Amino acid sequence: MVAPIYIIATLLGVAFALGLFGKKMNSMAGLLSVVALGFASFISLEWLAGFWLYDRAAEYIYTAGFKPPFSINLLMGKDEALFTSLINIAGFFGTVYLWDKLKKIGSNGYVTLMGMILGLNVIIMTRDLFNLFVFLEISSIATAGLIIFSQNLKTIAAGFKYMLATGIISGILLLGIIFMYYFTGTLNIDDFLAVHSLAVKGFGVAVFFVLISIVLELKPFPANGWGLDVYESADSGIAAMISAGTATASFFVMYKLLPLGTPQFHMVLAGIGLATFIGSNLMGLKQTNPNRLLGYSSIGQVGLLVTILGLSEFLGERTTFIAYSILISHFLAKAGLFWISGIVKRSEIKEWAVLRNNRLLLILFGVFIFTLIGFPPFPSFFGKWDLVLNMASNNQYFWIVGILIGSLLEGVYLFRWLGYALKLDNAEMPAFEVKWNKVLPIAVFGAATFVVGYFVSSIHPYAKIINYIPLAVALAFVLIDFLPVYVKNTLAILAMAYYYYYLYPTLSSFGAVFGAIFMVGGIVTLIAGYAFKGQRRGFYPFALMMFAGLIGLIEAKTTLGFFYAWEVMTVGSYFLIIRGKKSMPHALSYMLFSMGGAYLMLAGFAIASVGQFNLDMSTLSHVLVHPTWVFILLAVGFLTKTASLGLHIWLPGAHAEAETDVSPMVSAILLKAGVFGLVTLFLAMGDQLIGGDVSVIYLLGWLGAITAVMGNLMAAFQEDAKRLLAYSSVGVLGYILFGLSLMSHLGWLSAVSISVTHFMFKSLLFLAIGGVVWRVKTKEMYRMGGLIKRMPFSFFSVLIGIIVLAGLPPLSGFSGKWIFYNAVMAKEWYLQGALIFFSGMIAFLYTFRLIHSVFLGQLKDEHREVKEAPFWILVPQYMIIGVLLYFSAIPNSLLKPIGKIISPYFPTGGLEWTGQHAVSTYGYWNGLVIFYIVIAIFVTVLVWLIINNRKAQKVKQFNIVFAAERPFKPETSHYAYNFYAHYRKAIGILVEPKITGWWEGVAEWAHAMGDKFRKIYNGNGQSYLIHIMAFIVIIYLISFGGF
Amino acid sequence: MQLFSIEYISLVVGFLILLIGIWGILTRKNILKMVIGFSLFDTGTHIIIVALGYVRNKTAPILDQANLQTNTAQKIVDPVPQALVLTAIVIGLGVTALMLVYAMKLHNEKKTLNIEKYNDLKW
Repeated sequence: MVAPIYIIATLLGVAFALGLFGKKMNSMAGLLSVVALGFASFISLEWLAGFWLYDRAAEYIYTAGFKPPFSINLLMGKDEALFTSLINIAGFFGTVYLWDKLKKIGSNGYVTLMGMILGLNVIIMTRDLFNLFVFLEISSIATAGLIIFSQNLKTIAAGFKYMLATGIISGILLLGIIFMYYFTGTLNIDDFLAVHSLAVKGFGVAVFFVLISIVLELKPFPANGWGLDVYESADSGIAAMISAGTATASFFVMYKLLPLGTPQFHMVLAGIGLATFIGSNLMGLKQTNPNRLLGYSSIGQVGLLVTILGLSEFLGERTTFIAYSILISHFLAKAGLFWISGIVKRSEIKEWAVLRNNRLLLILFGVFIFTLIGFPPFPSFFGKWDLVLNMASNNQYFWIVGILIGSLLEGVYLFRWLGYALKLDNAEMPAFEVKWNKVLPIAVFGAATFVVGYFVSSIHPYAKIINYIPLAVALAFVLIDFLPVYVKNTLAILAMAYYYYYLYPTLSSFGAVFGAIFMVGGIVTLIAGYAFKGQRRGFYPFALMMFAGLIGLIEAKTTLGFFYAWEVMTVGSYFLIIRGKKSMPHALSYMLFSMGGAYLMLAGFAIASVGQFNLDMSTLSHVLVHPTWVFILLAVGFLTKTASLGLHIWLPGAHAEAETDVSPMVSAILLKAGVFGLVTLFLAMGDQLIGGDVSVIYLLGWLGAITAVMGNLMAAFQEDAKRLLAYSSVGVLGYILFGLSLMSHLGWLSAVSISVTHFMFKSLLFLAIGGVVWRVKTKEMYRMGGLIKRMPFSFFSVLIGIIVLAGLPPLSGFSGKWIFYNAVMAKEWYLQGALIFFSGMIAFLYTFRLIHSVFLGQLKDEHREVKEAPFWILVPQYMIIGVLLYFSAIPNSLLKPIGKIISPYFPTGGLEWTGQHAVSTYGYWNGLVIFYIVIAIFVTVLVWLIINNRKAQKVKQFNIVFAAERPFKPETSHYAYNFYAHYRKAIGILVEPKITGWWEGVAEWAHAMGDKFRKIYNGNGQSYLIHIMAFIVIIYLISFGGF
Repeated sequence: MQLFSIEYISLVVGFLILLIGIWGILTRKNILKMVIGFSLFDTGTHIIIVALGYVRNKTAPILDQANLQTNTAQKIVDPVPQALVLTAIVIGLGVTALMLVYAMKLHNEKKTLNIEKYNDLKW
């Protein structure tokens, strides 16, 4: 072990030695600095390893041969080792990143940089309050020097504002310190902590001054305008160091001095942090400058960390885990993002589309954004989970709400930015220069997010039992992304098939049903991928990630495992959805609704965990506190995925704009994740009553019925074929929700069997229509027509699909309907049943359009040469058709197993089967007989037509007279645009986008609020000082009971 | 502490100077005047530090004085604040110097020292 004092000695020694270097020795100076910082990193990492692996004791370092209070002493403990490691690593890689810049500036630049890193190291290690002040000042002065590395009006003004602010803050700190000394006669932090002389009047005020100045160093809202200016103007490499280094060190000081504060002050601190977290992220909404945006995010994240410290009384021993996992995530991500920004050199986030020119940086950009928001497998995910759970177990719901709102706001601007980078046009942007010394630090930090994420999960008692293999396989596809599509597609299908084979014996009950939808469904839809040429980069990792998440839902043993899988699925599906050409806004709204839903689930799981001994899924069946709330939170969380009315606005765009084979994946398969969640929830918790008499499930039944009607109505009025199908999914998912809400054997039988058939017919339709769109290059139905002649196979698929969808005999949609009405009658929900019946009528309208406008009518001139859909898109369709026909002819092959799964939960009121003959209370039905009868009728009519057609005269397309004119264009004789104009006139008012409007209103309001708030940052350094002083006065009044 | 004793007076004076400094920082638009405000703020703090360390009728802790060889602790003023104030003065000097450098550079950019003119970065 190298003594920690050598960190200081090395940095200080090299800094002084650099003064001897001449102007021509800049490279040497740089090399020496890098070596020094590397050595400092080595020392602190060695200590960290020592603490972690060998359980070393913390070591005090005494200076001048005396013990405190007669000398300054430093401490190297576990925490100090971690934080100095972070600082030194940031310094090391930051210097590598800034190599060219520093070389231009010369040895003075290196000296300043060393001074800053040195200052931060001592701030972390020192146990002496005055020493803390001195080194805070040293690092502030050094930072002020770093800010003007690039000298222009902006950096100089920002640097001056920074000096003004830190000048005031450190003055107040010094006053506090001197009075603390006056009252106690010591400057040693450990002595203060031991004395606990808070009761002494006057001492409390001194402590307040010390603490408030540390709070101010952390840039609390709204006294932080100076910090924002620095982040915006400073060189990105410097901003990275401030965000990763200074903020981290200041956080540690707060952590160190926290015990000085009273519990009451801790609550004030938590409040300050939360206000900063929410305020900063709200104001970030309107930002367009990337570095300032990162500044807002940085300040917000530090606010979250301050909240965590303030709430440490509730979090107990988990405080460290929570704070550190979030802090390290922020450390890695923020440094990485600032560094990327320094390479991209664009001052508008919209111009970040240029990032696509460099695949590695684009990937890292995404990694950092997901790290920052707290998605798995990154460390902050586990931190946030523990945070919310611990707050729930202490009944602190206010904080949970605040933290989740803040996170959601942060998601808005970060994902908007990611969307810009992924989708906006970058054709006319010049490429940016990429140097290896700038990419290396970013790549290292990006890799570290995964390593630390894995490490954090391995020390978390529940996270370590999650099965990470599917996710790892998905991520492994990143490495083989350069291979051609057919190789990757085959590998993906094999991986899925193997995993299903491996998993199959363990699946039972509803897991088996949904497992089949997810995995078999996944394989079938993947087959269509063979139709794509080239490499199709970035598709397979995310497709497999989505399926890994879906599988994880079924495999989940704990609520954490379930939530983890849910988030993995969200990440994968987000990237699948955003692949569509015009998907940017839809992917964003999908992400935001998913995040919102996920946070509701998180809150629900957290409340459910209160008072439980473990996090098993089974704990949901005996929730101890607020079971109604748990139920509602989880249900609404799941409903965001099933896109129930009110939460559906993300769906049509996301599904319609997606690629041909992605649409069936997200529409036919992904939505079932929400259904699976609801199934799990309903089974575990049963019904819940609001205020003792209103049943939640009863309300959900209504919601389902209304969603079914509205979804179908909106589908009927679409011009875009894929949008039509997307809205139809909203409707069918409404059916399913309604069926589940019936809470009876038949209700569930219909809901689950519709889940299975919906997967089949919706994949079928999306693939068939997708194949048509692939060829005719438009999604507008009125631009199509007469395609039956050009694409007969697709026509047949659509025909089968809509027969099942509309629930017509003989295909299996009919059985679903039949069971449905039986269930409705048994439950006596006639009004809702009528709505469902009505929605079934509407389904006829839109299904008819699909056939009529696309395949029948007049073939358009531009489509005369159009070819049948690609072979590989047809293959999965005909596989599905085969299974559908089998299930239709032999319905009990599907319904009997499902019935058996449902029976343990709903033993009475099932169907009585004799062969294919099913009997319910209200009647009977024989799928096979109906199948034969309908086929017989069909064949009869067909034969009759064939016989009669022999006499018919063949007519060419324009051999008609229409209103005394001979049409010569197909459009004139094919009525397809605004097909249901008359219905629209009658009931169009129902489908006006009021809900979309409402959500847009919410978004606009939030942005306007953010815009209003940020006007306090008027750019005047003096105003910022007034903010600081006012902040101190207000917090003083709050802390000491003035208010 | 007695009214009109030297330590009380210097404490009050220290606070007054400190407040004048803060007043200057918060109200003067001229950057140089703000820097002077900071200097006053610092000076006030320094006087306060010294005042707090002063103990009536005791001498400086220079230990080779003949009368300090016995019962030393009872005869000297607290040396720590004096050490602190020296450090604080040095830091204050550094900060002031850097602020003045900034003031100069700002003036080079816009030929004005009015703080209100330097609000290009905002929101």
